[in-house]
Amino acid sequence: MKTTLIDSPVANVANIARALRTSGADLDVTRDPTAIANAQKLVLPGVGSFIAAMQWLKETRIDDAIRDAVKRGASLLGVCVGHQLLFDVSHEMGTTPGLGLVTGEVQKFDGVLPVPQIGWNRVAAQGPLFESVEDGVFYFVNSYAAINAPDEIARADYGGPFTAAVQRDRVFGVQFHPEKSSAAGLRVLRNFIAWT
Amino acid sequence: MDVIPSLDLLGGNVVRLLRGDFANVTNYGDPETVLDSLDVPRGSRLHIVDLEASRSGHPVETNIVRRLATRGLRIQAGGGIRSLDDARTWIDAGAEKVVIGTVAADSPEILRAIVDDLGPERVIAAIDVRDGVVRVGGWERDAKASLSEVLARVEELGIAEALITDISKDGAMRGPSFALYRSLRTNLRIIASGGVSAISDVVSLGRIANVSGCVIGRALLDRRIDLAEARARVATTNAIPERVIPCLDVRDGRVVKGVNFVDIRDAGDPVECAMRYEAEGADELVILDISATDANRTTALDTVRRVSESLFIPLTVGGGVRTIEDFRALLRAGADRVAINTAALRNPQLIADCAREFGVQAVVLSCDAKRTGGHFEAMVRSGKESSGVDAVEWCRRAEELGTGEILLTSVDRDGTNSGYDVELLRAVTSVVKISVIASGGAGHVEHFRDAIEAGGARAVLAASLFHDRRLSIGDVKQFLASEGIPVR
Repeated sequence: MKTTLIDSPVANVANIARALRTSGADLDVTRDPTAIANAQKLVLPGVGSFIAAMQWLKETRIDDAIRDAVKRGASLLGVCVGHQLLFDVSHEMGTTPGLGLVTGEVQKFDGVLPVPQIGWNRVAAQGPLFESVEDGVFYFVNSYAAINAPDEIARADYGGPFTAAVQRDRVFGVQFHPEKSSAAGLRVLRNFIAWT
Repeated sequence: MDVIPSLDLLGGNVVRLLRGDFANVTNYGDPETVLDSLDVPRGSRLHIVDLEASRSGHPVETNIVRRLATRGLRIQAGGGIRSLDDARTWIDAGAEKVVIGTVAADSPEILRAIVDDLGPERVIAAIDVRDGVVRVGGWERDAKASLSEVLARVEELGIAEALITDISKDGAMRGPSFALYRSLRTNLRIIASGGVSAISDVVSLGRIANVSGCVIGRALLDRRIDLAEARARVATTNAIPERVIPCLDVRDGRVVKGVNFVDIRDAGDPVECAMRYEAEGADELVILDISATDANRTTALDTVRRVSESLFIPLTVGGGVRTIEDFRALLRAGADRVAINTAALRNPQLIADCAREFGVQAVVLSCDAKRTGGHFEAMVRSGKESSGVDAVEWCRRAEELGTGEILLTSVDRDGTNSGYDVELLRAVTSVVKISVIASGGAGHVEHFRDAIEAGGARAVLAASLFHDRRLSIGDVKQFLASEGIPVR
């Protein structure tokens, strides 16, 4: 089965593409809403600003294409800001609605530790996405995160617990960067690619 | 790990004595006002030393303990407790525990009487140590028993906690005696005291077996340590591994290495080195481009591109970055972060500009520091030329401007294999919140531990040591883990 990587300009697509191919994906990289709406396995990357990333999805109507694909039974993996885009809203500089594919809100780390979090962090996880890396260490770069999301499948701690990954039916999201998390990250991508 | 604020009381006020001299007092005022200003929450433990009692031999500040106990603080009170009556006086005033010093070391029968009457859970044995020898009577004389004898006796009585102070470190603000605490062979829960002056000290103590708490006095009063921040850092200490980072010095598309950049010799293909390091467990890779000319920088970009295409860990690249366009070119070539050095010293605004353009996480300040007189100076041009800027102040400023991390190299130690400059690391890590990568001087596994434990570094970098396979990344990580330092 093909994996379709959404070619967002607000993402480091080249790195994710390389990691997905290394993990065994037969990869399409595209911005075509029709191709995205018809995809069976989708990856939504993202770095930097939630607002800019969401704006691009709306302008290109790729937001609707993603929702259509999921409605038609596609599986989806959001990575970093792509993970945050899955939620109802983000509170990054005001309140911006997300794709609403998983329940919850994205908010700024509210603690005494330096923001952004830059570095490796231990994740306690469960479920098919984390098979054989349930107690893995992954690489994060983020100032915002969902806290205690209802669809949480992985949790980490940065001056308080936050949601490191979510799953709702066929929709997955990971707050960390699997493409920078060495063998553990590639394993998560492989698990997603193999998951049916 | 209990982080326990400590207050010395005299004449109803919080004070500090300079080197134990009652004629040389710094007064911090009313204890409740002090506790409010330190944001000590209800339920917190609080260590109280009654200085007058330690001099006169009778409890004096019982009214203060009574007041503080009503604030929901769990007080451990000490200072010259010489009898069961003294100990009872503190407990009656509302203290949860009493801290017994001289008597614990020198008068086993009185200690036993106190334990029998109050119960062992209400007693903390306080043991003051200098050069491995227990000192008593206001540190004036050696105790009759040795440290291991005192510890064994305390344990036998069913006491669970011992407060161990290294006298030579107390109040010196140079860090606690990690070696002392690591050497203790006991089942007692150890509360460390003396010299704790940075949040990293608290974190590092918590990683030593048996150490279950530490008391902090002067560093809290002087605002060197924020209590809430220290407690938050302690809570995440096992989740966030410390990083081991190999560094590739690259010139003309090849990895090179020479001591102090003289006698440079070829050390291999960068892609092969990078892949080997990732397989060995490197947490990140640093590439420093040491090409001399602009023409060669194009080769460097190509090297970065080739390495990043083979790597699934973060990649930081530095060397000769002068403009925001240089920065952008390296990110485009596949770097996750870019280190700026000389150009930032000449134009600090470059840090802020790059942080705004690419995000704080992409910016690394590379600071080459050299000892000059009583301080450290930031150097430019690969450590060869002085900038006139204080290195510690420069790092602090760079954090404000928007750097995500600091790569701190000791020019004095670089290439010597004699250990990282722990003093330099402490000086910087105690004034910034962002991570500091230690660089320059690694030669043995202990050096990596010391940079993290005593220096407060969150990552340790080495180049030739790994190239020459004198140590592998696995060796370093295995040793750090055996010392209680979490690694990936």
